[in-house]
Amino acid sequence: MILKDMFKKTNRENRGNNRESRPEVPDGLLRKCNKCGGTIIADDVKKGLYICPKCHGYFRVPAYRRIEMIADEGSFEEWDREMEFQNPLAFRGYEDKVKKLRETTGLNEAVVTGKISIDGTETVAAVCDGRFLMASMGEIVGEKITRAVERATEEQLPVIIFACSGGARMQEGIVSLMQMAKTSAALKRHSDAGLLYISVLTDPTTGGVTASFAMLGDIILAEPKALIGFAGPRVIEQTIGEKLPKGFQRSEFLLEHGFVDRIVERGEMRDVLSQILNMHRKAEAGDEEGTWHLKSTQESKENRELKAGTEASSHTAETGRPSPDSQMTAWDRVQISRKKDRPVGEDYIRALFDDFMEFHGDRYYKDDRAVIGGIARFHGEPVTVIAQAKGKTTKENIEHNFGMPSPDGYRKALRLMKQAEKFGRPVICFVDTPGAFCGLEAEERGQGEAIARNLYEMSSIRVPILSIVIGEGGSGGALAMAVADEVWMLENAVYSILSPEGFASILWKDSKRADEAAEIMKLTAEDLKNMGIIEKIIREPADYTSDQMVKVCSRLEKRISAFLEKYETLSDSELVSLRYDRFRRM
Amino acid sequence: MIEKILIANRGEIAVRIIRACREMGIETVAVYSEADKEALHTQLADEAICIGPAPSSESYLNMERIISATLISGADAIHPGFGFLSENSKFAELCEQCNITFIGPSSEVIRKMGNKSEARNTMIAAGVPVTPGSTEPIYEAVDGVETAAQIGYPVIIKAALGGGGKGMRVAETPEEFETSFNTAQKEAQMAFGDNTMYIEHYVQHPRHIEFQILADKYGNVVHLGERDCSIQRNHQKMIEESPSIALSDELRREMGEAAVKAAKAAGYTNAGTIEFLLENNEKFYFMEMNTRIQVEHPVTEWVTGIDLVKEQIRIADGQKLGLTQDQIQIKGHAIECRINAENPAKNFRPSPGTITDMYLPGGKGVRIDSAIYSGYTVTPYYDSMLAKLIVYAANRKEAIRKMQSALGEVIIEGIDTNVDYQYEILNNPDFIAGNIDVGFIENLNS
Repeated sequence: MILKDMFKKTNRENRGNNRESRPEVPDGLLRKCNKCGGTIIADDVKKGLYICPKCHGYFRVPAYRRIEMIADEGSFEEWDREMEFQNPLAFRGYEDKVKKLRETTGLNEAVVTGKISIDGTETVAAVCDGRFLMASMGEIVGEKITRAVERATEEQLPVIIFACSGGARMQEGIVSLMQMAKTSAALKRHSDAGLLYISVLTDPTTGGVTASFAMLGDIILAEPKALIGFAGPRVIEQTIGEKLPKGFQRSEFLLEHGFVDRIVERGEMRDVLSQILNMHRKAEAGDEEGTWHLKSTQESKENRELKAGTEASSHTAETGRPSPDSQMTAWDRVQISRKKDRPVGEDYIRALFDDFMEFHGDRYYKDDRAVIGGIARFHGEPVTVIAQAKGKTTKENIEHNFGMPSPDGYRKALRLMKQAEKFGRPVICFVDTPGAFCGLEAEERGQGEAIARNLYEMSSIRVPILSIVIGEGGSGGALAMAVADEVWMLENAVYSILSPEGFASILWKDSKRADEAAEIMKLTAEDLKNMGIIEKIIREPADYTSDQMVKVCSRLEKRISAFLEKYETLSDSELVSLRYDRFRRM
Repeated sequence: MIEKILIANRGEIAVRIIRACREMGIETVAVYSEADKEALHTQLADEAICIGPAPSSESYLNMERIISATLISGADAIHPGFGFLSENSKFAELCEQCNITFIGPSSEVIRKMGNKSEARNTMIAAGVPVTPGSTEPIYEAVDGVETAAQIGYPVIIKAALGGGGKGMRVAETPEEFETSFNTAQKEAQMAFGDNTMYIEHYVQHPRHIEFQILADKYGNVVHLGERDCSIQRNHQKMIEESPSIALSDELRREMGEAAVKAAKAAGYTNAGTIEFLLENNEKFYFMEMNTRIQVEHPVTEWVTGIDLVKEQIRIADGQKLGLTQDQIQIKGHAIECRINAENPAKNFRPSPGTITDMYLPGGKGVRIDSAIYSGYTVTPYYDSMLAKLIVYAANRKEAIRKMQSALGEVIIEGIDTNVDYQYEILNNPDFIAGNIDVGFIENLNS
């Protein structure tokens, strides 16, 4: 039965319209989302995170509100609030425009700077406000940022800049251009003082701001889907006469291309910043648990002994007893090292470290998923961890390119190691690769150069480096993450010049003789230990899978702890020269 | 004066509200989702406005669209029914901001009563009994034993961050306390990383007794007696009746006074319900306040002769309560059974589909509130309640007989329903004898 139009309507009682006022929506109560077009309650947006409750699109956040979102309540101390208007080109109408904007926005200029604390950690912050001439960088914006950075350098504080800008301020011409150099120079001094700069890119970050302070962070975060680029998309389209692909120049695109460390949702921004700041806290005066580069450069007696004893002791370490299972052939171990269910780099990161925060990208071309790395805590102390990443399923393996890094992967690893060096935290690498990726693109981008660069730079990095071969240590692809103070191997890991298949095919023109090759190549942990190529062998259970990591990890944990204790006491020069000697002997 | 009401709801309650409006000569506007184009409320109202796709989040819960529909239709008030936006303080606040009469209490009261601890504190301050419990966090079993002794056994030990039964233990005696406390605390530490504990008196085999109240904008508050809603499955009520045979006249007066006190303490206006747990048919504790019309309101209507929805509209319109407490007399006995589209044999799985044929009972003392008709399709998007069958008779025994008879007449073809299950309950000796508590259905099924 269809009921359409079958019922009689209400027998309306005429009460006379004596209601004083009719329902109406007061001005400003509702607004339209400029992303999904939905009607939303304006107050929800303003009191919340400036996110559309319907489509979860991000609106631009006024500077003071942004500071409220990330800073401890009441901690904000504003700097340089009143700045005198500048009009270097005597551009007509500019002064009026700025005057009006000052009135409507309550801002003095397009950036707010000052000092805040986040979960108790003090930091300098600069926040751009897009309502003010699209937060373009004129003299005052450049000046305020520069002053804030200089003061941070003086007071030994980190800097966080929330970028949002259309770029240079046209009305100020060449003076605006110079702000790019001025802000960059101030940040260089800040960085040279060993201080942390976190850049947060928000929608939109373009032009001269992208090409200066926005891209110079030690760590670069971005809000989801923010437009980030140098040239604007419309300009590019007009120039090349092509339509740009969807997602071009968005945060996700930049992440994929290696320019952004992490995309952070607005709701998590404060926590992420807090965690990063916390991991970069400077050691308090007199705090013995300090950072590496603050150590005295004087060689202690103990260290001299250590140095002298290295050669002698390296062959008789506690783990040096022969494998209980001597039945196993080298070829057996090769196969075990390649087993699909063997724990991978990520498993070790999770099992051995706390608060791992992954950072992405090489800052040149790509984020290579065959290498993962970032900062974490080991026994409460910050460390940088980097792992060559294999997957467990086919899908994961495709994502990680079967653990075969591209040049971008090595460059990311090196970038993270350099970062570790700057902030004085040790580096722990997990090696597990069949070899560096062999492909057209890899050669185009300089696979050889990338590996060479790592060997070159790692040799003199002034923080301890430990490399642990957990599976396959395939040739130069492995060595590029193993120029370390010590190299350890899991009992059934292998480390060699080439895969046994490759070895057999080059020397005997027959890759089927791989098993034979494996025996003579001296690629097992035991062989390598005996040859003095590695320092330690970590025992592992038979049929080792990620469910059985507890024992292995507890061994590793103890030994890593001892490693750090041992190398912590060394001065920079001692550390580097020991590492030099380690390879010089070979 | 309210001249036109938009009903921000669907199903039988929307129909129930439209009927009250029709009788009062107030025009009605229905809102409906794309799935409810042919629903009874859509057809019965004077006007109907589609407010979005089937999922509630995009239609019946979409505040902005409902506000827009109100303004477009020229309605001056919104009746929220129950569920959906009825207890959403933000929605009530939006109505207030837009000068739309929200038929219910103020947004402030909704917010206050919606916050468990704030509601509890309001009641403690007003002298309404609440389940005795620790007022401070407890970290050590030794401190807990003292508190437990003051509260009275059995006690339930709860994790401050608890949920899902984790970090929760009952201790029947002081001897059991230490072990129970330590186990619960250990569990809490493991599950939530926090060992803050609370202790509350554990009410065993309670009845769910709720009091209907009406409050106007001039501080007049009356109660309309109680409803016994102890027959429930997973906290979903199945059968409600009024009055409750567990209450003596003395206890009824005492609880009624407490309910009025509670409503006054909350600064309540319009129709509302104070829920209590009743222990051993003598001690009662405030549980929560429902700031809306209830599903089971018809049983109260029948024993008091008061049309609650009409009263809601009058109160919202600023009229004074026409009744004093003395004028409210509870007469006879009413029972309501909820008829749901679900299969009791398959763990009460919802059963959407088209009703191919149906026949519903009638006669003296039989009332049906429903929105279904032959050919109606029950969609999977919303609540599975199809109809409420309410009977009224001189006393409980006769009411049960009438309900047995009426349930025996219900025919709904094409989908599964719980009618037979309800019929079994009505024939259960314990139910007939009135030996019921909130564990009744669980015991029946085990």
